[in-house]
Amino acid sequence: MTTNPVRPVLAALLLSVLVATSVSAQDRPGIQGSDPPHKVRLDFNRWHDTAELYEDLRTLERAYPKFLSMRSLGKSHGGRDLMLMTINNPDTGSEMSKAAMYIEANVHGNEIQGSEVTIYTVWYLMENYGRIEQITKLVDERVFYIVPTVNPDGRDYFLHGTGAGSRTGHVPVDDDNDGLFDEDGPDDLNSNNNIEQIRKYVPGEGNYRLNAADPRLMEPVPPGEFGDWILLGSEGIDNDGDGRVNEDGPGGYDGNRNWASDWQPEYIQGGAMDYPFQLPEAKAVNDFLMSHPNIAGVQSYHNSGGMILRGPGAEWQGDYPAADNRVYDQLGEHGQRLLPYYDYLVIWSGLYTVHGGFIDWTNDGLGMISFSNELWNGGQYFNSPALKEQQQDPDSPIRPDLSGLFFDDYLEFGDQFVDWTPFEHPQYGLVELGGWKKTRGRIPPRFMQEELAHRNMAFTLFQAGEMPMMALGETMAERVGGDVWRVWVDITNDRIAPTITARAAENHVVPPDLLHLEGAAEVISAGWVRNKHAPGATDMIDQADLERIIIRNGHPGRTTRTIEYIVRGSGALDLRYESVKGGTVQTRINLR
Amino acid sequence: MRKRWQGEGRISRTSIGVVACALMVLVLTAEPLRAQTVDYTKYHTYDELTSALQGLVRSHSNIATLVSIGETRGGRSIWAVEIANRAGVPVDERPALLMAANLEGDHLIGSELALATVEWLLTEYGSNDEVRRRIDEQAFFVVPRVNPDGAEAVFGPVATWQRGNLTPYDDDNDGRVDEDPPEDLNGDGLITFMRVRDPSGPYMTDPADARLLKRADASKGESGGWALYWEGRDNDGDGFYNEDGVGGVDLNRNFQHEYPYYAKDAGRHMVSEAESIALMEYVIRRRGVAAILTFGASDNLISSPGGRGELAAAAALSLFDQAEASTSGARAVGVMSTATAGFGRGGRGGRGGAPAGGGRGGGGQQPATMIDTTDLEYFRTIAAKYQELTGIRRAAVTRAPRGAFFEYGYYQFGVPSFSTPGWGIEMAAADTAQGGQAGGGGQRGGGAGGSPVATDNDKRLLDWFESENIDGFVDWTPFDHPQLGEVEIGGFKPYVTSNPPAAQIDELLAGHAQFALYLSSLFPRVRIASTTVTDHGGGVFRIEAEIENTGYLPTAAAQGVRAGAVQPVMVQLGVDPEAIITGDVKTNFISALAGSGTRRSFQWVIRGQPGARIELKLRSQKSGSESMMLTLR
Repeated sequence: MTTNPVRPVLAALLLSVLVATSVSAQDRPGIQGSDPPHKVRLDFNRWHDTAELYEDLRTLERAYPKFLSMRSLGKSHGGRDLMLMTINNPDTGSEMSKAAMYIEANVHGNEIQGSEVTIYTVWYLMENYGRIEQITKLVDERVFYIVPTVNPDGRDYFLHGTGAGSRTGHVPVDDDNDGLFDEDGPDDLNSNNNIEQIRKYVPGEGNYRLNAADPRLMEPVPPGEFGDWILLGSEGIDNDGDGRVNEDGPGGYDGNRNWASDWQPEYIQGGAMDYPFQLPEAKAVNDFLMSHPNIAGVQSYHNSGGMILRGPGAEWQGDYPAADNRVYDQLGEHGQRLLPYYDYLVIWSGLYTVHGGFIDWTNDGLGMISFSNELWNGGQYFNSPALKEQQQDPDSPIRPDLSGLFFDDYLEFGDQFVDWTPFEHPQYGLVELGGWKKTRGRIPPRFMQEELAHRNMAFTLFQAGEMPMMALGETMAERVGGDVWRVWVDITNDRIAPTITARAAENHVVPPDLLHLEGAAEVISAGWVRNKHAPGATDMIDQADLERIIIRNGHPGRTTRTIEYIVRGSGALDLRYESVKGGTVQTRINLR
Repeated sequence: MRKRWQGEGRISRTSIGVVACALMVLVLTAEPLRAQTVDYTKYHTYDELTSALQGLVRSHSNIATLVSIGETRGGRSIWAVEIANRAGVPVDERPALLMAANLEGDHLIGSELALATVEWLLTEYGSNDEVRRRIDEQAFFVVPRVNPDGAEAVFGPVATWQRGNLTPYDDDNDGRVDEDPPEDLNGDGLITFMRVRDPSGPYMTDPADARLLKRADASKGESGGWALYWEGRDNDGDGFYNEDGVGGVDLNRNFQHEYPYYAKDAGRHMVSEAESIALMEYVIRRRGVAAILTFGASDNLISSPGGRGELAAAAALSLFDQAEASTSGARAVGVMSTATAGFGRGGRGGRGGAPAGGGRGGGGQQPATMIDTTDLEYFRTIAAKYQELTGIRRAAVTRAPRGAFFEYGYYQFGVPSFSTPGWGIEMAAADTAQGGQAGGGGQRGGGAGGSPVATDNDKRLLDWFESENIDGFVDWTPFDHPQLGEVEIGGFKPYVTSNPPAAQIDELLAGHAQFALYLSSLFPRVRIASTTVTDHGGGVFRIEAEIENTGYLPTAAAQGVRAGAVQPVMVQLGVDPEAIITGDVKTNFISALAGSGTRRSFQWVIRGQPGARIELKLRSQKSGSESMMLTLR
C-alpha cells in the first residue's frame, strides 16, 4: 500500500476516538492469567452476513491500523466486494519479503462457518500480538492474507433467503435447456423462510415409512416392501408451467471446479463452467494469488465432514511426489491431533473426485502447500466415548437414527426442526411440508462454533508457522594457498515446508531459489558439502554462472546444507540466498 | 521493382514481390475471386488489415459489422467481422459459422484467407443466391487476426520465428524473464540456426541432403559430430543459447482440450491470455455457432481424420525441433537431490500413498480424445470437399493440436470444428482436382501408420523450394561466434514454413471462400414439418406434429451431446400440463436429430376449448426456433 502522509494522523485520530468511546478495554480491572481485556469485542456464536463480516473486519482494521489493511480483490457476479484483509507487521519487512499464508472460506455459499473462523483468526492474532510469544513471533515472521468469503452472493443468498440451492454462485445458468435462466427454483410455499421437504401420503404405494420411534423421521422401506409415503423433493412448484418442478434453480455450477489444474469440461466435471477463471470470483482470487508468489500456504475452509483435505482431487493425477507427501503428512497428522473428529485425507480417495478444484490449482499451478478443511463433523454432537458407546444400544434415545432429533429437542430446544404440516400443492395435491432447517447438519450448533473456530485456526497457524524460512548459519573462510580461499556457509530452513515443493519444481511454477555471491573475488568452484563433519566428496555445482547459482527445486524443510566456494580474492564477500517463498537472507564473509 | 520471395530475408512491410519465374504447376480448382478491392499480393500488417476490414464493412454496412472482441497487451483490438442481414432473428442467436485465423502469430496466410472470405461473401451478396440466403438467415463471424501482436512481429526488422503473443514468460524458469533471445549475428535480418562441429553433438549430416542434419543412430553404427542451436549469443551466461526469448504464449496451445500443462509456450494456465479469453467469451455467447473453421498450424482438412477418429500425425520441421532441443536442458539446471543430510527427518519417510479414506473418488470418466465415430462421417465428407475445393494435398508443416482452439470447438463446444494451414506443398493435378477426389483424404506419409525418417519433411520442403524457385533456405556459412568459435549459420528462413510466398496467396482464396460457404450450407435446418389437429368430441383433441431436419448436419454432433454442450431440440406444446390427457409430455427434448430429412413425431391428447389457439414451439440451438399456432377444431 502506498503511504499517504495523512494516513498516520487519521489513524491516530480514529484510534483515539475508538479508545475514548470503547470503555470495555478500560474499565475492566486487569484479570490475571489468560483472560485479557480485549480491545475489540466480536461475537463468535452467530452467523454473519457479508456486510457484517466486513464490518467486523473494518472494526479490527481501525483498532490495529499498523498491522491490518483491507482492500477489495474485485466484485462478485452480484456486485459484492471480495474483501481481503492483509496482516503484516511493517517493522519486520515488506509483504513480499516474508512467506505468506492465504486463508479463505465459503466458496460454496451454504458452507458459511469458515468465514467466522477467518474473522476469529484476524481477531485472535491481533488481540494476542505482544501478549502471547508464539503469536507475536508468527505475526512478525509471516504475512496473512485472509478472504472471509469468496462467494458473498452465495453467502447472503443462504443467510437471507431460504438457504435452498446456495452451494452455487449466482451467475445464471440454464439448467434445463429451455432457453430460460434460473426460472424454476424452490419456493417457500408456506412462508416460513425455510425450504422444507415435501412428503405425500400414498397408502401402500410408497417407498418411505415413518420411523416407529419418532414419526417425524422418514426412512426408506426395505426392498420388497411397500411404504405409505413418498418424498417429492424440495418445497416448490412448477414456476414456468413446463410440467416440471424446481428444475432450474439459481446458478447451477460449482465455484470450486473453475480452477486451472486438471480442469475438465462440464461432461466430465459438473459445474466446471466453460473455462477456468470464467467466474468473476475465481478470477479475482487467482489474479491476487498469481501476483503474490510469496504465498507459501493455503487454507480454504469448507464444510462438512471433519476432514483435513489435500489434493490431488482425481486419481488419474497420480499422487504427489514423495517429498511433498512427507511435508503434507507432517502437517496433516499434526492437524488430526488438534482437531478431534477430523481425518487427514486426500480429496479423491477420502471424499470424492474433484477436477479443477481450488487447492489442486494452488498446489500444482502455484506451488503453494494447500489444505481444505471440511469444518464440522456430526460425531461432535455426542462427543464422549461413553455417549458414543451408548449410541450402539438399540434402545437408547440417542441411537443413530434418533440422535439428531434428540439433540435438537434437548440441546437446541427444537429450534432446528420444522414439524410436518399439511399443504395443498398445485401439482402434487395434498402433501406435507417439514424437515430440518438450513442451519442444521453442515453447520455446527452456534454454541459450538467458537471451539470449531479456535481449533481450525490453530491448525492453520501451525501450517503458517511451518512455511519455509531461510537462515544463514555458521560461516567459515580458510586460506587454501596464496589468495585462494575455501568458504563454507551453512544454509538452513528449519521449518517443515521446503522453499519449493517437488511438484512446483516439476511444473516450473515457482522461480528458483538463487544463491548470489558478490565481492572482489573470482569463483573457482562451488559445491555442496555432503557432510561437513566427515571427510568426503563435495558435489560440484555444474552451472555456468557460479556467482548466481540456481537451486531449482529449492531448499527442503528442516534441513541444513553447506555450500562451499573456492575463491580467489580478498576482502568481504556477500552471500545472499533469495527465495520467493522462503525469504531473502544475507551474510558477509571476510577473507582474512 | 522485383524481388524474390523473401529476397530481403523477411516479409517486408512493403509488398512482397512476385516470383515471376515460379513454375505455375498449381491449377486453381475454383474461379478466381472477382471484384477484389483488397490487394492480395502481399501480407497485411495490422494497420493494413484494419483499414481493409473497415473499408469492406463501410461499403457493405447493411450486412457487415466490425466489432472489437478484446484488446491485446500491445494495445491492439482483436477484430471480428459479423456478416448477417440484421433483419430477423437476432444475430447472436443465429446459426453461424465462426472463422478464426492467426492464433499462431506467424500464420499470416490464415488472415488473408479470412479477409478474402469476408470480401467474397460481402461482394457476392448482391448476386449469388446461396450467399444471400446464408447471410439473410444465418451469420458468419470472422476473426481474421486473433494474435495481432504476434503477427506484427513478423513484420519487424528481424524475422525471429516468434509465434506467441507478447506476454512475458520465463521460459527456462531461471528467475529472469526473456533475457536470452536470439540475435541476428550475421546481419541478414533473419534468425536462422547455428551448426557447430562438436564431438559430443548428436547430429550427423543427413545423407538425403547435406544441408540437413539428422540424429545419429548408434545402433546403425552412425555417429554424430554436429550440435545445433538457434542463431544468437548466450546472453545470460548460463551455457544455453537463446533459451528465453521475447514472450510469449502460443494462443493455439492455450485452450482447454488436451491442454499441454506447464509447457513453456502454453501460458500459465488454460485460457490465460487476453486473446484467448476474448475468443472464448465471444464464442460461448454465440451458441448458435454450428461449425468452426480455423486457419492455423494443425490440420484435419488437408488430411482427413482416420477411421478411428484420429488426426493424421503432425509433419514437423526437424531442424526446428533440433534447435529447440538444444534449449530444453535450461529448465533442468540446478535440480538438486533432496536427500541431503539434515537435522530433521519428516514424517514416515515418504510412504508415498494417500492417507486412508473411504471415499468414492476412484476411476472416473475420461474426456474424449478422438472424433466420435458417429461424427466421423461428417468430418471425412467435409475434409474431402475441402480437398476438392482447394486442391491442397499436402501441408508444409503441421503440428499436434494440443490446446488448439478448434479442438475445444469440437470436444467441448460440441460442433464440427476444423483447422487447416490453408496452403500446401503438393496440389492436385488439374484433372483430379475437379472432382475426382471426392472420397479422398486417406492417410499419407507422416501419418500414424508409418515411421518416416524425421527429416523427410525437411527434405520435401527443400525440394519444393527448388521446384517453386523459392529462396527459403540460407546456405550454411562460416561465422566466428564470440562464444562458440567457428560455427556455420544457415537453415530454413523464418516463416517460410508457415506461409506460402505472397505471390501464391491469391490462388488460395477462392477455394477457401467457397469452402466457408459450403460449411455454412451444411447446418441443421429443423422445422415443424406437419401438424394435424383432430376433434374427438367432448372437448378432447388429438394434436400430432412432425419435425424434420432437412440440413446435412445433425442438430447436435454426437460429441456435442456427450459433452452436454449443445442443447437438445425442444418441442413444447403451449398448454397447461394438466390439460394433457395422454401422449407426450408438455415439454420434450431430443438430444440430436440427424439430418438429411430425418423426422420425429409427437402426439398429445388434450382437453381444450374448441376454437382455442395453442402454440407449438420448436427450439433448436443450432438451427433457430419456430413457433406455430394451432387451432382446436
